[in-house]
Amino acid sequence: MKIKKLAASIAIAGLALGAGVSAAPAATAATPVTVTIWTFGDVIEPNLVREYKLIHPEVTLALKKGDIDPQQNNMITACNARSGPADVIAVEVSYSGWWRSYPNCFTDLRTMKTSSANANATKGTDKNGNTVDVNYVDATGARVAVGTVPSGQSASTIKSNYLPWRWEQGVAYNDSVIGIPTDVGGLEVAYRSDLMVKAGLVTAAQVKNGTARDVLSKKWPTWDKFIATGKTYMSKLSAADKKAGKGFLDSVGTIYAAILNQGTEKYYRNNGTDQGLLIYDKNPEIKKAWDTTLKAQAAGIGTRIGQFSSDWNVGMNKGTFATMLAPAWMMDYIKQQAPDTKGKWDIADLPGGGGNQGGTQLTIPSYSKNKQAAWDFIAWYLAPEQQLQVFRTYGLFPSTKVIYNDPSVADFKDPFFNKAPVGKIYSEGIVKLKPIFEGKLNRGIDQAFGAGLGRVISGKKNDKTKKPWTSKDSWAMVMTEVKKLVTN
Amino acid sequence: MSSTVASKSPSSAKKGGRPSTSPSPWRKKKQKKQTEIPGLRSLNGKWGYLFVAPFVLMFLLFGMFPVIYSTIIAFYTYDPLAGAGGLSLEGQPFVGLQNFINLLQDERLYTAIGNTFDIWFWSTFPQMVISIGLAAVLRNRFLRAKTFWRTILLVPNITSVLAVAIVFGQLFGREFGMVNMVLGWFGVDNIDFVEDPLASHIAIAAMITWRWAGYNALIFLASMLAIPDELYESAALDGAGAWKQFRYVTLPGLRNTITFVLIVGTIGGLQVFAEPLTLSGTSDGGSTHQLLTLTMFLYDQAFGGAGKWGYGAAIGIIITIIVLIVSLINFLITRKMAGGDDK
Repeated sequence: MKIKKLAASIAIAGLALGAGVSAAPAATAATPVTVTIWTFGDVIEPNLVREYKLIHPEVTLALKKGDIDPQQNNMITACNARSGPADVIAVEVSYSGWWRSYPNCFTDLRTMKTSSANANATKGTDKNGNTVDVNYVDATGARVAVGTVPSGQSASTIKSNYLPWRWEQGVAYNDSVIGIPTDVGGLEVAYRSDLMVKAGLVTAAQVKNGTARDVLSKKWPTWDKFIATGKTYMSKLSAADKKAGKGFLDSVGTIYAAILNQGTEKYYRNNGTDQGLLIYDKNPEIKKAWDTTLKAQAAGIGTRIGQFSSDWNVGMNKGTFATMLAPAWMMDYIKQQAPDTKGKWDIADLPGGGGNQGGTQLTIPSYSKNKQAAWDFIAWYLAPEQQLQVFRTYGLFPSTKVIYNDPSVADFKDPFFNKAPVGKIYSEGIVKLKPIFEGKLNRGIDQAFGAGLGRVISGKKNDKTKKPWTSKDSWAMVMTEVKKLVTN
Repeated sequence: MSSTVASKSPSSAKKGGRPSTSPSPWRKKKQKKQTEIPGLRSLNGKWGYLFVAPFVLMFLLFGMFPVIYSTIIAFYTYDPLAGAGGLSLEGQPFVGLQNFINLLQDERLYTAIGNTFDIWFWSTFPQMVISIGLAAVLRNRFLRAKTFWRTILLVPNITSVLAVAIVFGQLFGREFGMVNMVLGWFGVDNIDFVEDPLASHIAIAAMITWRWAGYNALIFLASMLAIPDELYESAALDGAGAWKQFRYVTLPGLRNTITFVLIVGTIGGLQVFAEPLTLSGTSDGGSTHQLLTLTMFLYDQAFGGAGKWGYGAAIGIIITIIVLIVSLINFLITRKMAGGDDK
């Protein structure tokens, strides 16, 4: 294990210096093969697809992009029929609990071995059959050589590259490995420096010399302190600002999932069965997350804007909220939605220490007809070198822990976020997390709890009592609804 | 209609083409035709069925078969990933009427029925007024560029439902939506068009009205143009102004069209899906299910991560029963109205 890690870090160090090792191209006259990939969002990154085409002119990667829920239903249909066109499928974390109950739908990736296809991947063949250097151009225009994957690698041998808790999300109940992790969400607090200065929580000088984020992180080591800081912020707002709906945090509902992911158990306990044991009504961590969320609501620190709504996009530009809980991939979202706020944002630590939101696994369905080509692609695409490039281009945080100490992650500073060392901040939070068993109905149960909090937060009237929903009544309704969900 | 076509199998078609001793009037009629136009004999007997075959086959495969199969799985705790897979029901537990018993005790069913009819109400009646009003304007004989205006009316209808829902979602935004901005000029506090039950139904109704008002206006226009000019002329001679002409000539002439639009609107109204799903953002229809419609409830249970296919199928059957009841009421009203015309 140690030797492998060492080898990986040496390879990366080599990459960072830009010293690509050149080798002769694989001289195999391979037969053409089309690998069909079901994916969504930016999971499969176009630059790397072009790159792969250079190394493997014989492989055509056919991307079929969809939305998460419809794709889930397509997967169910395909597995029910035991046949389908997909060779690689991206499974989002909210559904990984579901698929862990059905390992038969996937290829056990421990049984796959990489061929020699990627072993000499630093040289490729272009359209005209010429041998060319395989280079990757990142966002800054720098050229980075593509990493190689030795032959004979299986899921068992590459496991040590990845974060243990993240790896577990792709392991089925019977221990077969059904998915390899792509990026990891992480979760930290994104905040607006200008608004924090205005509220007197930090000084302009601290923002300028880059110590503001540490000052703020120290103000909220716990969620209670975070809420207290929010209250201070609110007390500094003018009456007009308050009337305009301004607040400290965009949406207090996001606190719930953040706290839950900091624990060790959610709605299920891993008891070795395919379904797991349901503990949604007993787990004290859930009640704690629920109560803290509603405490933040009662403190009045949140705006009434829901995340990913049109109001949210506008509010991000207008400074309607000073903070938001942001996974690493959300940094790119902020850049796209609020380009004019460049330099005003910064990143501080998440209260309670480390968090996560989102992430995806790449899987090979059991009915795939091109398993070898699919595994060669996955092993290459999710290798530390490639994840590093995705991070540099899109800010998607690598799930390969072996590169967290690499200078291009550890020293990465984002000018959009006031030159915050985002690589260091996110990786420190991510490594603190522990594996959580996600059961089959995780997404449905999450939705019921989210609705329960939404009822109270929106101040909606309860038709039965003719008064606004109380925490107790709403909790009772969640219990009834989840019970309906989990019983047949 | 389609079921009568489907029930005639190709083998009976063959027999029908030959002279037969059967006293069926249908066959007699056909035999008579055959003697008159011999060239059409084979066409009537066989080719006709061949021509309808693509539709019948598609209907059987994608219409009839799913209906039968989902009726069957409504009696099972169905999990497509368990058991033998495919269409086999092996390994799927049979639960009898349990899905239906649970469903009738499920508050969400009644919420969904209430929401569906509420949205239907708010989308149908204001739309009727707008459509007839638009048609009346278009009927004006002094209107220029008639074709242009008629074409414009159809544009909302060919827009993707999803695009409409996304744009309206922005218009109805709570904090920065344009609707709330305009209401704010009149001192109205920001309305939450997603969380508030009534406001959210009206927001959905607005999307539906925007898409269908123009389309229905064209139907009304066609019907209006069929009203003889003499009626208007004699009404004018009797001293009726524009409003009285509209009230006593145009509206009575539109009666059957109004019924038609109402029926088509009802069937569409019971299937509202994409608009509330997009506005609420979740398949459960919001925190108190304020936007949960019947079809959304089905989707939520079967495909929305709950994985209750049998239960979803049972909801489908309930929707069918509701549509049948509503169609029956429509039918009775139409018959009564048709009878009224005869008088």
